[in-house]
Amino acid sequence: MTQGIVPPYLLTRIAELEAPEFRDAATAAKQTLILDRPRRAARLSFTLDAEQNLVAELSAAPNRTIGNAKNTETLPGAEVRAEGQAAGKDVAVDEAYDGLGATFALYSEVYGRDSIDGKGLPLDGTVHYGKLYDNAFWNGGRMVFGDGDEQVFGRFTASYTVIGHELTHGVTQYTAGLVYRDQPGALNESISDVFGSLVEQYAKKQTAATATWLIGEGLFTKKVKGVALRSMKAPGTAYDDPRLGKDPQPADFAHYVHTTDDEGGVHLNSGIPNRAFYLVAHQLGGHAWERAGRIWYDTLLSGLTPKTDFAGFAAATVAAAAKRYGGSSAEVAAARAGWSGVGVTTNGAATGD
Amino acid sequence: MAQRQATEPSPAAAAIRILVVRSGGFAGIPQQWHVESRDDVDDWTTLVTACPWDQVGTDPASRDRFIWRIEARMPRTTRTAQVPDALLVGPWRALVDRVQDAGSHG
Ligand SMILES: [Zn+2]
Repeated sequence: MTQGIVPPYLLTRIAELEAPEFRDAATAAKQTLILDRPRRAARLSFTLDAEQNLVAELSAAPNRTIGNAKNTETLPGAEVRAEGQAAGKDVAVDEAYDGLGATFALYSEVYGRDSIDGKGLPLDGTVHYGKLYDNAFWNGGRMVFGDGDEQVFGRFTASYTVIGHELTHGVTQYTAGLVYRDQPGALNESISDVFGSLVEQYAKKQTAATATWLIGEGLFTKKVKGVALRSMKAPGTAYDDPRLGKDPQPADFAHYVHTTDDEGGVHLNSGIPNRAFYLVAHQLGGHAWERAGRIWYDTLLSGLTPKTDFAGFAAATVAAAAKRYGGSSAEVAAARAGWSGVGVTTNGAATGD
Repeated sequence: MAQRQATEPSPAAAAIRILVVRSGGFAGIPQQWHVESRDDVDDWTTLVTACPWDQVGTDPASRDRFIWRIEARMPRTTRTAQVPDALLVGPWRALVDRVQDAGSHG
């Protein structure tokens, strides 16, 4: 079986084939050309059936473009790698390109979602943003990565979890639209960590037991005492460093952090739903993207309101698990146990803290 | 480190104190800088009053960007603002750069 990204000129050639053995391929190519918006890519796979006919299957494919801001804060920067172009010598460019591809693969192959918006939205990223810029962010339309300061942080493209996290902010923007403050903001953050981690687990074919459950592993320089920025399995344990202090994430609702900084501590309190997801995945075992991830993905598309809080989200995961797997399924029991493990009720009632 | 002391005692009310707290970001690790000065009050006041404290603006689309909380305690008034990273330009950037250069970090 051959698989590849088919450029438009080749689609045109295939669409024009008239020999009967190429009929399916020509039809698929025509469909792509007719349906496509500009810049859309598609993946065609060719197989031979029992009668030696060429069978063509059309599936979604990413359309990635990476820009280089060349250490300015100007977006999108100079285009340095477009879809289908070969890797070059710039590690950050190729890490961003590969991470976008890995994220696209999880959403497309596991959840049947065609890109961020479900409609093949091009995936755009910019690397080398700013001078010694210590961050990666989503600006509503693209992912942006700094090079780090070389003292505390190295390149922000170094982990698939970061790239998956940023693109998932786009998915949340196009689905639940959770506001970026307080509990809905911490859920927004957690959903990005959940699918960011699943991008890495899916690419590495890890199980819930073999996955690291770390977010941003390898981002810290060797000078920092810490393994990653966050731990979904054990929030609050990712680093403990003389200069940075100790990882401040709470692991349960009793330790919810009330602050006005960071939009109400969205990067702190995400530890609580992060651990709930880990507990569900751990209880179900196997590949976390299959059942735990499916429950969370279904929940994201279940019609959440933008101000959904922890208890509302927890109840929605139980409802999503019941809808897909049945009310007395192991998945429902695991969802209940996961939230109970972090002190959040799943009956939809507001949780006191 | 530029916590400056005037050689002659001056009234406490004549000092200026500026605090910059950067929160948010993918890592969620806060950083802060502050400066206190009694002898450069005019220079600092010029930097502070150049900033549009009442028209900061918002950046509702971005995720994981830094947010800058800036508090300036001046002899007659105290100003505070939360500035999204995307809007930390012009006089805001000049003020923050100066505090980061002159002030103490931690
Ligand atoms: Zn985020």
